[in-house]
Amino acid sequence: MSGARSRLADRIAGARPRVVAALAARWRDLDLAEDAFGAACEALLLHGGEDVRDPAAWLYRAALRKAIDAKRKAGRDARIGEAAMTMGDTHTVLAMPEPISDERLRLLFVCCHPALAPDARVALALRVVCGVSTEHIARAFAVPVPTMLQRITRAKAKIAKAKIPFELPPRREWPERAASVLGALEVSFTQVYEEHSEAGQSEIADDVVRLAKMLVELLPDHAEAKGFAALVLLAGSRLRARHDDEGAMVPLSQQDPALWDSAMIEEGRVLLDEAAALADPGPYQLLAAIHLTHARRLYDGTVDARAVATLYAGLTVLRPGPIVAINHALALAELEGPVAGLAALDAVGADTLANHRPLCVARARLLERLGREREAAAMLDRALATAPPAAERLYLLKWCSRLAAQG
Amino acid sequence: MQYMLMIHEDESAYAGAGGEALMAETIGKHMAFAESLAKAGIAMSGNRLHPAGTATTIRWNHGEHALHDGPFAETVEELGGYYIINVADLDTAIAWAKQIPIPGKGAIEVRPVWDME
Repeated sequence: MSGARSRLADRIAGARPRVVAALAARWRDLDLAEDAFGAACEALLLHGGEDVRDPAAWLYRAALRKAIDAKRKAGRDARIGEAAMTMGDTHTVLAMPEPISDERLRLLFVCCHPALAPDARVALALRVVCGVSTEHIARAFAVPVPTMLQRITRAKAKIAKAKIPFELPPRREWPERAASVLGALEVSFTQVYEEHSEAGQSEIADDVVRLAKMLVELLPDHAEAKGFAALVLLAGSRLRARHDDEGAMVPLSQQDPALWDSAMIEEGRVLLDEAAALADPGPYQLLAAIHLTHARRLYDGTVDARAVATLYAGLTVLRPGPIVAINHALALAELEGPVAGLAALDAVGADTLANHRPLCVARARLLERLGREREAAAMLDRALATAPPAAERLYLLKWCSRLAAQG
Repeated sequence: MQYMLMIHEDESAYAGAGGEALMAETIGKHMAFAESLAKAGIAMSGNRLHPAGTATTIRWNHGEHALHDGPFAETVEELGGYYIINVADLDTAIAWAKQIPIPGKGAIEVRPVWDME
């Protein structure tokens, strides 16, 4: 790909959300908006495109023109024809350089409507708003392509058949709707960043960051949107450090900070500061603050264990759950020692979570620090028996052989 | 656009002590709900159903059928009634559906009605 061509691809990708959103709002039809945008992109590439000053405006007009052409060739595509009928006088549309209204929030709200399943919401947003291919989305979420395709198709069908509105809801409903967008993005965050982190996911990670930042731009007074964007930036800053040369997972405490992306960390820090200024705390802000506390190791080589423990204590109130409780126990172990940490882990749920992988791994870490290698190894065996993802499996196996060498 | 709002509730809430009073209270709330629909000028129809114990199910299997005493699926929450309302879109339908009284546990299923035109 030539440099010029690649720059044009970037400009198209940058223009996409605004243009598709404007088309979708105009026609109230996602497929139609996507198809017309695709046709307009082809036209731009044929046209050469490098000298187009405002690709968004160019693509928008080209997409409208495509729809009108289709109307002229009546009947070839009834849907496009129908949409074009509602567009008014052809000449005015094409002659007037019409400013594209910013309908991105409407599009995000439609794609992430609470009546859609959370995993469908994020897939739809990535597909429609960012233009990520279904193949990429499927790979990132570790599901077969036909499954992902079906998920997206079903969501689009529901929007059309159940008539999910393209109107912006009244402002009092925005917090709930924003939560729905954030909930969808969080699904992608856990799946892409945390659960399986195989190759080919960083590109999706970039798009999740893009969507998170878009929400911040569209809802500047929403503290948790800023907190979430900070969270994905801070987590994303470490993507390159998360695997060693053999593809094994590297846990946060053992990562080489030189591999972290300091620009992303700084961007996350600024967003978190802005969120804090809004004085409306929430779980995403707390999580981002925990990530930021760890990120400071890049600057002074240490992690403020007390701060981490306090932040996790806050999370156990705002968003209780086994993972938070486990991390809180590990934070306590940093402050008060491994014995205290193990006691806290026992309280997490010794019986119900006996084979819970994060709990087994946490126990193994503290048992090893107490010199109880054999018990630690037994915990790792249990963790390995739960079919961890490849990178984590490799990491656990390496750890096992290290313990065997010591024991 | 027409939407069917199906009311699934735990029938046992209306049995035993206080059950009758609860039923009277719930019916009152349904009346108020229907009235506010009428005030908003929304075309509506709806019915209350007898308890699931009165249901008969005809189950088909490739041309063969058998009658069963009871509802199609035995669950804690049973279909107890429905509304069909004519509103602009799903958000509006959901907003109305949230106002349907459900004492205790239950669920309202919102389904678009197939437009035959």
